[in-house]
Amino acid sequence: MLRWSALVVAVLLCLLLGLATGEEWINPFAAKDALEQTILWELRFPRLLIAFAVGGLLALAGAWFQVLLGNPLAEPYVLGVAGSASAGAVSGLMFVPDSAWVMSAGAFAGAWLGIVIVMLFSRLGPNRMLLAGVVLAAFWSAVLALLLALLPEQGLFRAFAWMMGDLSHSDLPLAVLLAAWGIALICGLLLSRSLDMLLLGERHAEALGVDVKRLRQRLLLLASAVTALAVTAAGTIGFIGLVIPHLMRMLFGSLHRAVLPASAIGGGLLLVLADAAARSVIAPAELPVGVLTAIIGVPVFLFLLLRRS
Amino acid sequence: MTALLNISRLSVTRGGRTLLSGLDCVLHAGEVVVVLGPNGAGKSSLLLALAGLIPADGGIVMQGRALTDYRRDELSRSIAWQGELPPTEFGLTVRQRLELAVSETRDGIEAAATAMDVAPLLHRPLGELSSGERQRTELAALMLRDAPIWLLDEPTAHLDLKHQIHCIKLIREQRKRGRAMMVVLHDMQQAMAIADYLILIDGKGRAEYGEAKRLFASQRMSRLFDAPVIRQGSVLIPEYGDLR
Repeated sequence: MLRWSALVVAVLLCLLLGLATGEEWINPFAAKDALEQTILWELRFPRLLIAFAVGGLLALAGAWFQVLLGNPLAEPYVLGVAGSASAGAVSGLMFVPDSAWVMSAGAFAGAWLGIVIVMLFSRLGPNRMLLAGVVLAAFWSAVLALLLALLPEQGLFRAFAWMMGDLSHSDLPLAVLLAAWGIALICGLLLSRSLDMLLLGERHAEALGVDVKRLRQRLLLLASAVTALAVTAAGTIGFIGLVIPHLMRMLFGSLHRAVLPASAIGGGLLLVLADAAARSVIAPAELPVGVLTAIIGVPVFLFLLLRRS
Repeated sequence: MTALLNISRLSVTRGGRTLLSGLDCVLHAGEVVVVLGPNGAGKSSLLLALAGLIPADGGIVMQGRALTDYRRDELSRSIAWQGELPPTEFGLTVRQRLELAVSETRDGIEAAATAMDVAPLLHRPLGELSSGERQRTELAALMLRDAPIWLLDEPTAHLDLKHQIHCIKLIREQRKRGRAMMVVLHDMQQAMAIADYLILIDGKGRAEYGEAKRLFASQRMSRLFDAPVIRQGSVLIPEYGDLR
């Protein structure tokens, strides 16, 4: 209970910090004028919530991919969904360079193309599926490299900013992201006992009454859809989906009724924190948030790993 | 006695190789059938087929209904399977492993853990345990299952002598309570201590089922394992040659 309370308090503190920091420090409880009110509640607050939802979705997807593939090194982009989404986004930029939302639309279409291809391999066992995913990821990164080579120079900066994670102009409505966060968490909790059984291996799970084939299909669809949504909203933000589930297992144990809500919250927390840093470190310019998730998260994770061992 | 499993003309094929074919056998409540045979003969595959975990040809009828007509969750209520040790990567503790074996309440976890000498290990992750301790955890998990049929794949593997005896006693105790069990073993003395019936799988696709008293003969075992087996008093033991 103490750990859960600490997590909730940490989220609240991070949200406050995220509100206060940026190009200028603003006290969220004492905004001086209407401009500060607008900055706080119309610019920073929605962006904070987007960061929270995207971080939570990535962490949930990571936890699901890890159990689906029976591999603790799995993460949301392991099956090439990020690569196909990036290729889609850059394709959009190439063909309709002036449109504001074309990268998101391209990313969403690309992510789903990647998912459909991955689904063709879902009947293979976890190891072969992982291998297929790694090969597909290599294919998509080659396609991406090709597209970047062909992209006119003026589009390159936008493409790279998106590829390193960009929360500054998400084209998805905030309500959609928050609803997705809630629905994904509920779906995960409904499946949590079956997921726990899958930790024992497919045979044991089946022997305990789990319809493993159906569970794997549902899980693949759920995790991929959530990844597609997160990538569409904010580009490719690494590290969260790999490490947050591990971190939460260390803190809250391995059962999914704890790991999933803790990851949904913890992933959100890390991205809120990283985004606050990204907006303020070299203000008024912004750093790519994906770089900061790793810079903040890696030392924390390694410290906990050392302490635990 | 109630027949829980009726097996008729069962064939199990894996990777294009027929492991066994034409097996007929019945498993009654309160009865132990031991499966013996060389490595790779298909003993574990037989258990997997009976648990509905791999496909098989022929008839498997459980309590009057074909096994293939059962839903996965229904099967798990009737058949408990103990096989390979589960992976340890995700840090499940012994207690969490045991919780996954029980359906609703968590009653009995302490008792099962105590019975299998893993009570002091309840908070430890499976990955920190020895293979023997993990095997005892699996047996404790099995004890928490209410299923009338147990399929045990080398339940004494990895165990020290004390716990091997413990495991054999557990099987005998469960037989008295009416549990039907099919057990894969390699140790003939352990097999003789519990078997009412035997299934001998020879590794060439043939399987023979019969009363343990009839099938436990040194020549038959020598043939089965392609290794010398002698009778010493009332038990069969491997002939190791001159040990001095």
